[in-house]
Amino acid sequence: MSTKVGDIVEEFHSNNGDRITDKMSTVHRHHETSRKESEDESRLPALEAAYTDILRHLGEDTDREGLLRTPLRAAKAIQFLTKGYHETIDDILNNAIFDEDHDEMVIVKDIDMFSLCEHHMVPFFGKVHIGYIPNKKVVGLSKLARIVEIFSRRLQVQERLTKQIATGISEALQPKGVAVVIEAAHMCMVMRGVQKMNSRTVTSAMLGVYLEDPKTREEFLYLSRRT
Amino acid sequence: MDRSKQNKYSSNEKNDNGDGGSVLNGHFDGMVKRAAGGPQAPGAESAPHRSTSAVMESWKEERTRSLEDNEMSLPSLAAAYTTILRGLGENPQRQGLLKTPWRAATAMQFFTKGYQEKIIDVLNDAIFDEDHDEMVIVKDIDMFSMCEHHLVPIFGRVHIGYLPNKRVLGLSKLARQVHLLYFQERLTKQIAVAITEALQPTGVGVVIEATHMCMVMRGVQKMNSKTVTSTMLGNFREDPKTRDEFLRLIKS
Repeated sequence: MSTKVGDIVEEFHSNNGDRITDKMSTVHRHHETSRKESEDESRLPALEAAYTDILRHLGEDTDREGLLRTPLRAAKAIQFLTKGYHETIDDILNNAIFDEDHDEMVIVKDIDMFSLCEHHMVPFFGKVHIGYIPNKKVVGLSKLARIVEIFSRRLQVQERLTKQIATGISEALQPKGVAVVIEAAHMCMVMRGVQKMNSRTVTSAMLGVYLEDPKTREEFLYLSRRT
Repeated sequence: MDRSKQNKYSSNEKNDNGDGGSVLNGHFDGMVKRAAGGPQAPGAESAPHRSTSAVMESWKEERTRSLEDNEMSLPSLAAAYTTILRGLGENPQRQGLLKTPWRAATAMQFFTKGYQEKIIDVLNDAIFDEDHDEMVIVKDIDMFSMCEHHLVPIFGRVHIGYLPNKRVLGLSKLARQVHLLYFQERLTKQIAVAITEALQPTGVGVVIEATHMCMVMRGVQKMNSKTVTSTMLGNFREDPKTRDEFLRLIKS
């Protein structure tokens, strides 16, 4: 069973390589963790200057009281909102995987998620529901939420985010199956463009038994529904 | 009323006055130098009759960005966003990010498009004489703005009520939203003042309840907290019963 998941993960990586950018895929992944925390401090002035520029070109007066320190605050804010680039799954999971003879579904649902749309750099946020069927290895529950944090605190596309969370968990645990569902509101749709207030985008990723067995998938979807 | 034309500041002039001669959001910091070109009544709004107490007046004259300015500042905004992407450790050349600086720049201009509009213009053509003096309320108006401290979205709902004094306002005008970088407190006040000046009603009440992404996504990260601000003018401030009726009617 776990080899099947492994196959799917392999496929995902190679497909993603072709689909997104060819040579860039490895570069892209290198960039995913290319920002170390120590570098943040040193990059702050450049970000600050960029924000000052932005405010000026929007017609604002950067010397007025309310905006005096805004470039610095905005720079730190956006660094915080993209802090997922710092972290890798290994960093946070290493000591929280336990051998447990449990092979029933485990679901952690309603995990609040905040991310930035990579197309407009505007937030999108919502809830993540994760389910997995362990294969002798279970993970500390809050680690699932931390995995969501790592991948969501980046410039993202909801589809990719969903898949990254699912493959991240598969690689770490080799479970019998992983399912991830994300339901989010995109401010780029709500605040601009079509301006649809109440629309939500739902994406899902099913790996392993969740993909193969419709009943397992159904059970997950039922148990993680909004009550 | 010619005032609208003569108060248009081009972005070039903005750059000249970088040391603070700008009128924005009701903050007036210094003397205003008028450009030689353009149809402007000489000295009609000249410096002497501006002072910080004329905040209301100067706020009325905000228009610091035109559509042409938008076009012209787009490349620099996009360049700034590219710098930000690099500074965050991303690769601006990857497919998903290739046109992001442009999209982000246009989005930001949209979020702050209140700079192009003046509230008075928006309201002025929909004022009607009507012999109605009962409370009019438009509630649950969705509002989006940006926090001027972190440049992160704020969104929420605005409830507006007023007691007309022979003049009523087209309802959708109440719902026109002004996108600007604002304090929520200031936005509340500005909406109230705009309506007062346009209609001279017996009273105006504005309540805004909003979620600040800067609190939710970062910092204290309090998911469900909302900030509520209100401004009551005229009857709404003086007569507790009126205020009470308004507050009760906007509660859903």
